[in-house]
Amino acid sequence: MEETRRTITHYERELQEIKQNLLYLGALTEKAIENVTASLLERKSDVARQVIEGDAEIDRLDTDIEEQCIRLLALRQPIARDLRFITTAIKINGHLERIGDMAVNIAEKVLLLNEVPQLKPYIDLPRMAVIAREMIRGSLDAFVREDCELANRIRRMDAEIDTLNEQIFRELLTFMLEDARTIHRALLIMQVSKNMERIADHAKGMADMVVYMVTGINVRHQWPGDATQDVCANKRQDS
Amino acid sequence: MKGRLFFKIFATYLAIAVLSIGIVGILAGSQIRAKLEKQIERELMSYAGLVDLHPMQEIQPRVEEIARVAGVRVTVIDREGKVIAETDPEAVTLGSHLERPEIQEARVRGKGSSTRYSRTLHEDMIYVALPIRKGPELVGYIRLARPLGEVRKTIEAFSEILLQSFLIILVSSVAVAFLFSRKLTTPIRDMEQFTERLRRGETPGTLLIRSSDEIGLLAENINYLVAELQQRIAALQEEKAKVEAAFSSAMDGVVLLDIDGKIETVNRGMRDLMGERYGDITGKTPLEAFRNLDLQKALDRFRASGQPLLQEIVLGEEPHAVFDVAISPVRGVSGGEGKTMLVFHDVTRLKKLERMRVDFVANVTHEIKTPLTAILGYVETLQEGAIEDRETARKFLSTIARHAERLNRLVEDLLTISNAELGEIHFSFESVAVSGIAQSVLAVIQQKAAGKGIRIASEIPEGLPPVRADRDRMTQVLLNILDNAVKFTPEGGGVTLSAEAASGGEVVLRVADTGIGVPREEIGRLGERFYRVDKTRSRELGGTGLGLSIVKHLMNAQGGRMEIESRLGRGTTVSLYFPVWRGAA
Repeated sequence: MEETRRTITHYERELQEIKQNLLYLGALTEKAIENVTASLLERKSDVARQVIEGDAEIDRLDTDIEEQCIRLLALRQPIARDLRFITTAIKINGHLERIGDMAVNIAEKVLLLNEVPQLKPYIDLPRMAVIAREMIRGSLDAFVREDCELANRIRRMDAEIDTLNEQIFRELLTFMLEDARTIHRALLIMQVSKNMERIADHAKGMADMVVYMVTGINVRHQWPGDATQDVCANKRQDS
Repeated sequence: MKGRLFFKIFATYLAIAVLSIGIVGILAGSQIRAKLEKQIERELMSYAGLVDLHPMQEIQPRVEEIARVAGVRVTVIDREGKVIAETDPEAVTLGSHLERPEIQEARVRGKGSSTRYSRTLHEDMIYVALPIRKGPELVGYIRLARPLGEVRKTIEAFSEILLQSFLIILVSSVAVAFLFSRKLTTPIRDMEQFTERLRRGETPGTLLIRSSDEIGLLAENINYLVAELQQRIAALQEEKAKVEAAFSSAMDGVVLLDIDGKIETVNRGMRDLMGERYGDITGKTPLEAFRNLDLQKALDRFRASGQPLLQEIVLGEEPHAVFDVAISPVRGVSGGEGKTMLVFHDVTRLKKLERMRVDFVANVTHEIKTPLTAILGYVETLQEGAIEDRETARKFLSTIARHAERLNRLVEDLLTISNAELGEIHFSFESVAVSGIAQSVLAVIQQKAAGKGIRIASEIPEGLPPVRADRDRMTQVLLNILDNAVKFTPEGGGVTLSAEAASGGEVVLRVADTGIGVPREEIGRLGERFYRVDKTRSRELGGTGLGLSIVKHLMNAQGGRMEIESRLGRGTTVSLYFPVWRGAA
């Protein structure tokens, strides 16, 4: 009796550890986005380079978490809720790692942008960054608290990012049409915007997985509109 | 519950009564019985001895007589045990009597007796037997028997007395037990209720028991203990309240982590520092609550080393809050093992001041270096031969003079500001008429404005009260503000100087322009030294970056204040509040 109780506690501690590690990884990616945005706005190339170097830590943690999850799957053979938790953790881990890579992509573009005069003041890009970070944080919050409603809210935030991305695209298009010399810079900024949009997509993917974890329903390819409003209503009761 | 003690006492009394009466009954009963039996035996013996059985042939009538007189049953048997005479007709048929114990005893000892249950008569009987001799020759035995009913009756009577006394004892012991237990339990119940109230945390007062025996002493001791206990509780509560007050009213945020690293307690200071942003963070890990990498890394380092450490962290989006977080183990508190205390000290303001100081030094250096470089460059050129060319030399010298002037202005401004900060500017306050001073400054600024095509309007109403100010400083302030207004208003714009009496015994002078304006978020920083909204433009216009800072200082030192409203692209309004003159004080 005593023996089994200790094993359960140990097992739960392992699950807890995965949670904490994912939060840490999330904080790392958030920081990367914050830094890369700052490096863009303040034209600080050294900060951008820090972001590129910092990706190694993200990659290492990604590998660690994945190993942790696979070991848990192999040794404990979890079922039901725990199984969904671990598969979700693996997926979220992958998304976070990709977000780190996107931050690196942006940093590389920022390095190029910092070598040429600024095309225009950045207004929508920092807004995208703020929303993207909020989505990452929100998804992880929802994951840790198993909060389906929050996850659903995060999924809907993706639309804002898409709107901003399109807005930037149109704006840059007018720049390019007016003056061919702006094309190089405009394209770089577009790539920054595109990567930011991809980051938000990954954050949404994380939120999708949280909905799956809590309800057992796969919403990855559904538009988070009214149809899935009540997706959280049928929470799985198995444990 | 209520009568338990009563029953204990009662049962004890009862047991004692039962035991003593039982012993008396058994001992006395057997004694009485033995004595009665002996007596009967002796009586029977003497009857038996009376019998003269000669001749044997006439024995039956004699026996009958004895039986009648003595009220006994008489049996005579011969040597072989054959019954010769028998007074009880029901017992005639019996066989040999020789085996009976009393006969046996009589044969051996000369007389015998026995008490036993007679199966023939179904009753306890006492038997005595004597041998009958003819000369030396044994011819038979005579046996007398009497039922023991008499003895039984006596014993029963005795038992009845015993039973009666037992009943009397029973009743009296119930009464005694009741009285005694009540006397005993009343104070005990009082004490029990008293301590119960104490246990529930009420203030029970003093226990009143008038008794000088052990119970009285006990009550006294309880009173003493309660008083002592309450004193201690009060002292502890006071101590606890002090600690809690310190914990909750500390401006610093205090967060306590439990042994699993989860947030256990958060003080009010911390809640105030965090605001709404983080919600309820108890039960979460710091990583979960704050998502702060620096904090997490510091916690990891602390867990690895166990050594207290200090970490600076930045929390939240713009505007950031900067905290010095002290991480230390909880020591010296029972139940505190393995817990961690985080103390968040808000250093946002300090950080800002620090940055301002660093900026100031950098700014001063920069401001001085620019004209100095120019001067040195021109001087060098002159030295290298340009001085020979009079035309060029004159041009260079005028440039050098302009830069030197700029340097001078900067140094003067710096001196003014440093004096103002040190409180070393001496003001000579007097009653100043607003309209007079407005006219004089407008006359000065008019020229400059005309050159840029800017209209200057004046809206000074009649009958404004005079203000209390230093005339020169007031002129300086107004000129500075008007100069700024003209500088930052594009050609064709307008600048208006107006004045009105404000509430609170003040007169406000307003300088409104239709200039470029200032972004809302920058307004607060306008009074900072060297703070420029548009750095290059301001310097082009010949500003030192200290103007508004000086104005702010001078206004404050004169007991007034400066307020700025602005809208980007629409213009700026600077309001200068001066106190109304209330006579020389």
